Amino acid sequence: MPITPIIERCRARLEDIEFGSVREWKARHPGGRAVGCFPVYTPVEIIHAAGMLPVGLFGGGNTIELANADARFQSFVCSIAKSTLEMGFQGRLKLLDGVIFSSICDVARNLSSVMARNFPELHVDYIHHAQNMTSPSAVDYVESEFGRIQRSMERLAGHPVSPGALAASLKTYNQIREILRTLYRIRRESPHLISTVELYILARAGTLVDPEDHLRELREVMDLLPARQGRPKDRVRVVIESAFCEQPPLDLLQVVEDAGCYIVDDDLLTGWRWYVEDVPEDPPPLRALAESYIRRSVYSSVRHDGPRSRNLGLVEKVRRANAQAVIFMPAKFCEPALFDYPLFRVALEQANIPHLVIEFEEKMWTFERTRNELETFVESMLFD
Amino acid sequence: MATAVTVDKDRKYQSEVNDHSKRIMTEYSDQLARAAKGGEPAGFLMISGNCVEILRAFDMHPVFPEVNALQLAIRKQSLPMILKAEQMGYSSDNCAYVKADVGMLMSGGYGPQGTIPYPSLVVCNYVGCNVYVKWFEHIAEFCKAPLYMLDIPFLREGDAPSQDDITYVVRQLEELIATCSRITGKPFDIDKLREVLALSARAEEGWSRAKELCKVKPAPFDAYFDSINMMGPINVLRGTTQAAGFFDFAVEAFEALAAQHKGPLAEERFRTVVEGPPPYPYYRNFRNLFSAWGAVAVNSTYSTVGGLWEWGFRHDPRRPLESIAEQMLVENLTNRSLTARYQQIRRYVEEWEADALVIHSIKSCRLFSAGQGDMREYFTRDLGVATLLVESDLEDPRYYSEAQMKNRIDAFFESLEHRKFLRKGTGGDA
Amino acid sequence: MITGGGVDVGSTQTKAILLNDRREIVGRALIGTGANVSKAAEGAFLTAVEHAGFPREAVGYVVGTGYGRYKVTFGDAQITEITCHAKGAQLLFPSTRTVIDMGGQDTKAIKIGPAGEVLDFCMNDKCAAGTGRFMQAAAECLGLSLDEIGPMSLRGQTPVRLTSVCTVFVESDILSYVAQRKKPEDILAGVHKAIATRTISLVRRVGIEDEITFTGGVARNVGMVDALQAVLGRRVNVSVEAHFNGALGAAFFALERAERLAAA
Repeated sequence: MPITPIIERCRARLEDIEFGSVREWKARHPGGRAVGCFPVYTPVEIIHAAGMLPVGLFGGGNTIELANADARFQSFVCSIAKSTLEMGFQGRLKLLDGVIFSSICDVARNLSSVMARNFPELHVDYIHHAQNMTSPSAVDYVESEFGRIQRSMERLAGHPVSPGALAASLKTYNQIREILRTLYRIRRESPHLISTVELYILARAGTLVDPEDHLRELREVMDLLPARQGRPKDRVRVVIESAFCEQPPLDLLQVVEDAGCYIVDDDLLTGWRWYVEDVPEDPPPLRALAESYIRRSVYSSVRHDGPRSRNLGLVEKVRRANAQAVIFMPAKFCEPALFDYPLFRVALEQANIPHLVIEFEEKMWTFERTRNELETFVESMLFD
Repeated sequence: MATAVTVDKDRKYQSEVNDHSKRIMTEYSDQLARAAKGGEPAGFLMISGNCVEILRAFDMHPVFPEVNALQLAIRKQSLPMILKAEQMGYSSDNCAYVKADVGMLMSGGYGPQGTIPYPSLVVCNYVGCNVYVKWFEHIAEFCKAPLYMLDIPFLREGDAPSQDDITYVVRQLEELIATCSRITGKPFDIDKLREVLALSARAEEGWSRAKELCKVKPAPFDAYFDSINMMGPINVLRGTTQAAGFFDFAVEAFEALAAQHKGPLAEERFRTVVEGPPPYPYYRNFRNLFSAWGAVAVNSTYSTVGGLWEWGFRHDPRRPLESIAEQMLVENLTNRSLTARYQQIRRYVEEWEADALVIHSIKSCRLFSAGQGDMREYFTRDLGVATLLVESDLEDPRYYSEAQMKNRIDAFFESLEHRKFLRKGTGGDA
Repeated sequence: MITGGGVDVGSTQTKAILLNDRREIVGRALIGTGANVSKAAEGAFLTAVEHAGFPREAVGYVVGTGYGRYKVTFGDAQITEITCHAKGAQLLFPSTRTVIDMGGQDTKAIKIGPAGEVLDFCMNDKCAAGTGRFMQAAAECLGLSLDEIGPMSLRGQTPVRLTSVCTVFVESDILSYVAQRKKPEDILAGVHKAIATRTISLVRRVGIEDEITFTGGVARNVGMVDALQAVLGRRVNVSVEAHFNGALGAAFFALERAERLAAA
């Protein structure tokens, strides 16, 4: 069996604006609860260990028209904040029992307040992620914060989380992240074998089902992948950076590939792949998660990086991926991403790595202008 | 039908209190300029819930980039700086405070040739505002200065931080103290810190008393525009004898005005609560638009960015680090949620007996502005408080449209006057 | 006979209305605002006086409104167009509770009480998205006049989707649809629908209450009226005087004032 039907199934799942897969999960788990996870990073292990379903909440994409949310948030606020709120007003979040936001930016923080006020029946949590990466006390703090979230999830689920259940969840998500890292490696080494659109669909569809089901799906793909054939094409190898929160439309990723690029690394869905290595299974689970947050997490625009800057992190990422260029792809009005650009730019220029800026919105509908810019950029790289 | 009165655009609002504030802030600027020339140790801090007392304990000059930025805007010098930063790749959608400050840094505003000393240490007091993290990462990078990321957990459940939050902040303050000691080569003197904190508490007492006096009708000063003149002394100079003395003076002056039933305008026709920072590039113009209607702010949220002392909190020399931690965690506006801010404003409207809420929504600061439409909904729909929402920016003059601003403010007060008139059920024009 | 004059100085056009003591319109004028705002204000007023056929001195009181109201230097008072539009709409349709006013620069939603008093109002945020200016940009992009786009949009069968209603981006959006050979009527239907959606979201901020009266220059656009009704799912009042609504409200206030002064 080829991979394509699996991808198609996953695509249908993530394009289903009614959260059909969550509905199915609830039907199979009577009384089970679902918790939306707003980007960037949520310790989904804790939700899962409480017997609940963590659900990726990435806004309304280009499927929603704002009728109420733009009365709450001004024109200079990013689309994902408004579309997420609008989904609430239109009743599309009724399937969720809780939502977790975190300290990624000022807008997300205020959004969590506005959601809590407008939807009193929804359980809204807010995580303050540590920004101090060097203080010895930071791990204690994060452990305490994750402990608070655990207690909150226990209240929502109506029963305590056993250390065994949390350890099991850590293991499941470690396995998922390991396969995703492998798929990223395969794409980096043989980008003709799996496209970015395919890989993205596979990863994102996993945010909408039980992680055990996602793991099975990923294993199927791993089994089938070696049989895939293909011939490398003459394309420019690029890294996509800054699309970590609001997600670009699939068509935009397709346009990047069609314009002659192999995307060999990216920060799409970054929070669901957050750890660069496994969360260790020996220490007490919350301690392990907390340590990993401080020591094993990816470079990100929504986290202070401590002694080594993410500007150099980006250059390293490009070298590791053996890429030729960077496509800086911030969501429109995304303050954390836009603020990183001036220093990224300097670091890239010093390392002689060309880059192109493509600002996008999730609700983007036409791509003509973007395609033109991308093609010109690719031509300048191939025929200089 | 009443209309606005014409206000002389050069009208002076200066009282002796504002003059006093101006004098001590000028002394502070002069000190910074001398420190820049002499290469004296300087610590960079942000205004929100700051821990300036720690720097004072080491005789480090506190530098606040927000103050640099707003002074550029008031002097109408911000736009060229903003443009300079935008040429470096800063987006038109990024906070213009940062852009103006970076533009100034790149134009030689820091260091011996400028008026601001280079940082010996950049202390990022991350108190709610995520932009602070970026801003200080950039300054540290451009100046090749060490950075201490002082991470303050946001107030997330209820009205009090957890014991673990307090412990985390106190431990970081201890690390910060060790860092300051290393950089300045001075040992830490806890008694000196206690003295500084006692001076802080004295200023906080005066600040709190002054704001309380605005419950009087008419309010003796404008708790938005005039409070901003007092924000330098309370947030920047806090912990000095100058600041403590300033508030002693201010309280005396305001008490005298209150006793004489004098306010900042000839007549107080409307009492407002103002939410959001002001448009610094058009500060005077903006104030005049309200003065034309006899509108006086009796309280404001912007004045509580640095600290919320009006509910009784004071720095405590007996609990030095704990009280600093508490002030950073909970006793300021920016580390509290948007809905906690609604309740703060609600208290202002009720206890200070305001007629209306004015929201000045600024593009630069999403901490303040993201969701203010929802705030408007809450006040107009749930509480029935007349609310005006206007938009511009605190730093970027390109976002201020005088005609549009005037139109909205005039229409709002016209309707407010009309409703007041209907409620009274009497004839005659106001 | 006591007469009141209202002059509405808008960003693109200046309107003047004269009312007699029976609250009847006896004079009117409409001229382009141009560069000299004071001159336009005076010109419109004088034309209206001429139209009414009586001497200028017969007008007891003049109220200026609109963006250029402070340039109505010969007037007796200035009142914002929000207050004037509220009053004007109530004069034209006495049961009005919600006013939608779309002008060149601004879109306003006004909630009014039974006497035409303003209870609450909201205006579009700083960008010109979804205003007359935006429609002008859309029309120019398709090489059409402003008057043509409304009727043409009504013929659209399958409205296109716009990425945003940003005046800056509308051009590239429209051009890319033209390149895809979409019909102009479908593009225009999409433009009208997008603006209507955005406008209604503004109206929700003050609360939608019947009757709804649509005023301002854009109210002459039948496509916009249709799109607003479609998005609202309700009927909106549109008067042939919609364009003069602000001036009408201003003239009414002037007349009231003139009468009070005469009685004093």
